[in-house]
Amino acid sequence: MPTLAQTATVVRSKNAGPLTLSFDLMFPDRAGFDRAAGSDALKAARIAALYGVPEAQVAVIPYPVANAIKIALPRRIVAGSPGDRDVYGAQQHAPLLGLEL
Amino acid sequence: MSAVAELFARRPDRLRILSASGQLGYGIPADALAEGLRRRPDFIGADMGSVDPGPAYLGSGELATSPLATRRDLSLVLEGARSLGVPLIIGTAGTAGAAPHLETTLAFIRDIARERGLRFRMATIRSDLSRARVKAALAAGQLTALGAELAVSAADIDACSHLVGQMGCEPFERALALEPDVIVAGRACDTAIFAAIPRRLGFDMANVMHMAKIIECTSVCCEPGGRDAMLAELDHEGFVLESMHPGRRATPLSVAAHSLYEQADPTRFTEPDGTLRVEDARYEAVDSRRTRVSGARWEPAAQTTLKVEGASALGQRAVLLAASVDPGFIANIDGTLAEVERITRSMVAGDYQLYPRLYGLDAARLSPPSTGFAPREIFVMVEVVAAEAALAMTTAKTFKQYLLHHGFPGRQCTGGNLAFPFTPSEVLAGTAWRFALYHVMPAPDAPSLFPVSVEEVGS
Repeated sequence: MPTLAQTATVVRSKNAGPLTLSFDLMFPDRAGFDRAAGSDALKAARIAALYGVPEAQVAVIPYPVANAIKIALPRRIVAGSPGDRDVYGAQQHAPLLGLEL
Repeated sequence: MSAVAELFARRPDRLRILSASGQLGYGIPADALAEGLRRRPDFIGADMGSVDPGPAYLGSGELATSPLATRRDLSLVLEGARSLGVPLIIGTAGTAGAAPHLETTLAFIRDIARERGLRFRMATIRSDLSRARVKAALAAGQLTALGAELAVSAADIDACSHLVGQMGCEPFERALALEPDVIVAGRACDTAIFAAIPRRLGFDMANVMHMAKIIECTSVCCEPGGRDAMLAELDHEGFVLESMHPGRRATPLSVAAHSLYEQADPTRFTEPDGTLRVEDARYEAVDSRRTRVSGARWEPAAQTTLKVEGASALGQRAVLLAASVDPGFIANIDGTLAEVERITRSMVAGDYQLYPRLYGLDAARLSPPSTGFAPREIFVMVEVVAAEAALAMTTAKTFKQYLLHHGFPGRQCTGGNLAFPFTPSEVLAGTAWRFALYHVMPAPDAPSLFPVSVEEVGS
């Protein structure tokens, strides 16, 4: 099965404010979007397990007008507090890359 | 007649809006700005701030951008706006928009005006909130963390060095009423910079806010994205977007996709004055470089809400910087770090926090670490935070020496476990800050929270 990295044109993460991590998955066409949007790999439960947060706090929002999927979840540590690992949240996408759609 | 007075007397039916910068002070691409000025915009806006760079700037009062680059960018937009005689609006002055950031920015502007012989009328909007106002919201149970849990107490509020509220359009409208040429605001919604003038001119708020939401990031909404100036042409049914860089195309897909950027939900955006809904927005190509947008909806808020930001100091930070290539050291690193911390705490008394990061071993991941791989080398960065710099440095130095010589099981590299890139290998990294407040609160008193003043500059 193709991975997310093989299917998407953009897999990025970034803070949406210092308390929230957001992920944008963008696909080259409707077929790629449909495959991803219908995949169990991108269900909230899987994302929650990958990022170590409760499932109820994970939002997965299809955005078909842009052939894109938005994921948002709480950060485990507030951006920039001591012990943080990624102040901008721009390098948190890696666990998603190998997901098989 | 001031630039604002002239624009409101003219009341154009189509409004050309130039977004000069998404974060002024990091270097505005000059060619695209010059092209934007050639299009004769009706006004120019520039965002100057963000919470992205973390709590240190709001906390300390310092700018994230360098004085040299900040002055250069301010000169570009000031001279551009004055050469056309159009209004210039700058939001979130000096990275975080609190009093010291605003004062630094205003001082730069006055200096530039003196050097370049510019004369103009400048309105200033302050955004500092009193501790008493925020504590009243806390006591009334009206502070809600934005996006996740962030517990806050009255003591946490007292500990904040600066507290700012993020203004919407209303304070800008009071500034416009003073008929300035230039408006410089403290902490402001990026959208308000671009929405206040068209709103006052009676353009449809759904289109106005959608336009503002997109162009505040300049050409990020293009393919390929960039930081070049962006032009919006607004009419009463929608707006057309065009990058001022010839190589950046605003396509229906790239513009629609921009709704995702740095947002938790790409379909709705909550602002102090209402909520923008873009589920039904239409994006149509005008040509290969321009897209027309229409069809968003605007739901005015029943009550104004404000985002409140505050940062407090937690202590002084020291960091230890080292690397290792020894396979045994890397394989035993978790046990080694625990043991070295135990030894350090037995040697150095006092209250401090230790946060080791192992680069090459998932140091940058906020998600749970992966397992089952052995990197050829790792970088060890240990963050120490203590009330006093001396204690933080003592801790880092002690940790360093015991980590260097720790006898983990099977150790062969008895000359030392670490490669230091330089000495001192422990450095002081200044004050450690945190966001103590990133909350929203209802604010029926919003107009009184953002005082406006005006001055003649260069006269």
